[in-house]
Amino acid sequence: MMEADTKRNCKSCFQVERRSKSQISKLVQEQLQLETNLVDDTLFKKRMDICLSCPSLSSETTCLHCGCYVEFRTKLSYKNCPHPSGAKW
Amino acid sequence: MSNSIIINADIEKGKINKNIYGHFAEHLGRCIYEGIWVGEDSSIPNTKGIRNDVLQALKNLNIPVLRWPGGCFADEYHWKDGVGPRETRKRMVNTHWGGVVENNHFGTHEFMLLCELLECEPYICGNVGSGTVQEMSEWVEYMTFDGESPMANWRSENGREKPWKLTYFGVGNENWGCGGNMRPEYYADLYRQFQTYVRNYGDNKIYKIAGGANVDDYNWTEVLMRNAGRFMDGLSLHYYTIPGDFWLGKGSATDFTEDEWFITMKKALHMDELVTKHGTIMDKYDPEKRVGMIVDEWGTWFDVEPGTNPGFLYQQNTIRDALVAGITLNIFNNHCDRVQMANIAQTVNVLQAMVLTEGDQMILTPTYHVFDMYKVHQDATCLTVESKTTSFKGQKDEIPSVHLSASKNAQGEVNITLCNLSNQDSAPVSIELRGLLGKNVTSVKGKILTSENMNDRNTFENPTAVEPVSFERLNINENELSFEMPPMSVLLITAS
Repeated sequence: MMEADTKRNCKSCFQVERRSKSQISKLVQEQLQLETNLVDDTLFKKRMDICLSCPSLSSETTCLHCGCYVEFRTKLSYKNCPHPSGAKW
Repeated sequence: MSNSIIINADIEKGKINKNIYGHFAEHLGRCIYEGIWVGEDSSIPNTKGIRNDVLQALKNLNIPVLRWPGGCFADEYHWKDGVGPRETRKRMVNTHWGGVVENNHFGTHEFMLLCELLECEPYICGNVGSGTVQEMSEWVEYMTFDGESPMANWRSENGREKPWKLTYFGVGNENWGCGGNMRPEYYADLYRQFQTYVRNYGDNKIYKIAGGANVDDYNWTEVLMRNAGRFMDGLSLHYYTIPGDFWLGKGSATDFTEDEWFITMKKALHMDELVTKHGTIMDKYDPEKRVGMIVDEWGTWFDVEPGTNPGFLYQQNTIRDALVAGITLNIFNNHCDRVQMANIAQTVNVLQAMVLTEGDQMILTPTYHVFDMYKVHQDATCLTVESKTTSFKGQKDEIPSVHLSASKNAQGEVNITLCNLSNQDSAPVSIELRGLLGKNVTSVKGKILTSENMNDRNTFENPTAVEPVSFERLNINENELSFEMPPMSVLLITAS
């Protein structure tokens, strides 16, 4: 990288939101390795089904009420749905 | 060894522009949408679409000025998409941030409403990178022209007959990067062109702010001041406190080592060098200090919270963030001759935020409490400070352990804000207050923000873990105060 470029790191240059769903899944799985308090697969799938039909889901990955990847949040036993009109799970 | 400080209450450095305590809200992640704007039909209590809990929390801070709509978003924002009936406004993808659908429901009218509710001044950033001179010119006409004109008529049709008052207008953002990847010579010429058509209508006088340098790009400041200085009122500067590497990993907001704590403090102090050096270049072309330095993006920048969309820039906020805020605001106070505005990034849910939301819940961050404590400095007179401080040693080098600024308000009260940067050691401090016109100090009050652990923070499960409390351990002897600051603390002392 040229010296001039190192002085020109803007917020947008860093943004990486154009990840594919498979890349996001890999990232989430890596992060979940660090978590200990997880729900079982049955409850995870039930939660995910609710999220996937929710109008507050963006790009099939992100909850607009908390900014989380739903594949991550639904796996955590201590989290609930942040929908402002009432938790859906 | 004690930290020995002299504050000269009769030697003034100048007025601390209240705009140093300004904020920044971008269409990024959940800052505007969810964090501020929920819409009139939301189950979250709101005032014409703006959520009440956030509004009340921010009102308490006496926010003087609010920058919008970006940031990088500003140079792709086309304001005409965001006016008129909401149901017919254009929907687009926010390509900069998170790839979410931007429905343009929060536009010019909604932003001006927010500013009215917060009783703050709007600071609007126009689009140079992908906009036109005409588009920028018409936006100013739309907002400020009083009388018969195409834009004023359109404003009236959209429900606002009277023009708004608009003082602060930015001509582009980060034009060295997301705002067009320009060279400073090219941007300086574009700035001169665009600003020509940013008109003053009636008695509305625009304070024009040119896009400035990133961090230590001193050549940018040199070229802008040389080629366009006489056409601007303010020149911006952006600097973020990043303990790690911008590309390889900035570091966790909550899981960090003692060494990372030290590095963060050291990098926060770097703002002083940046303001000094950019200010020296500005002095060369503007010795009267007519052009204000506008630090319109600053704050901590860490890796996003685990499991959240990286494009949303959502990070938690610990007592470490509180120290960064306290140090940086002290630096701005002490450079009040040149720094005329600063805007922390960002107000809600993004980077070093004041408040975090999750659905209908909201928590205040440690940074919020620092802004609440420091608001006493707004428009006060900065006082000169002489200090001999102990060192806070890191693995390779050392920095001062205590950092402070002081001001006097219209009632004659002296407010002193101090930070103990050390994560391990308490700091014994003695302050001699000189020049109080022969009066002795009769009343001293203290308020402190501190915590036991470096990564203590407020969470939705425990929203009040880090809060300021009264600080009673102040010893007064005529005009000398002495006390011991706990490690990792921000302290406000009010003496009268």
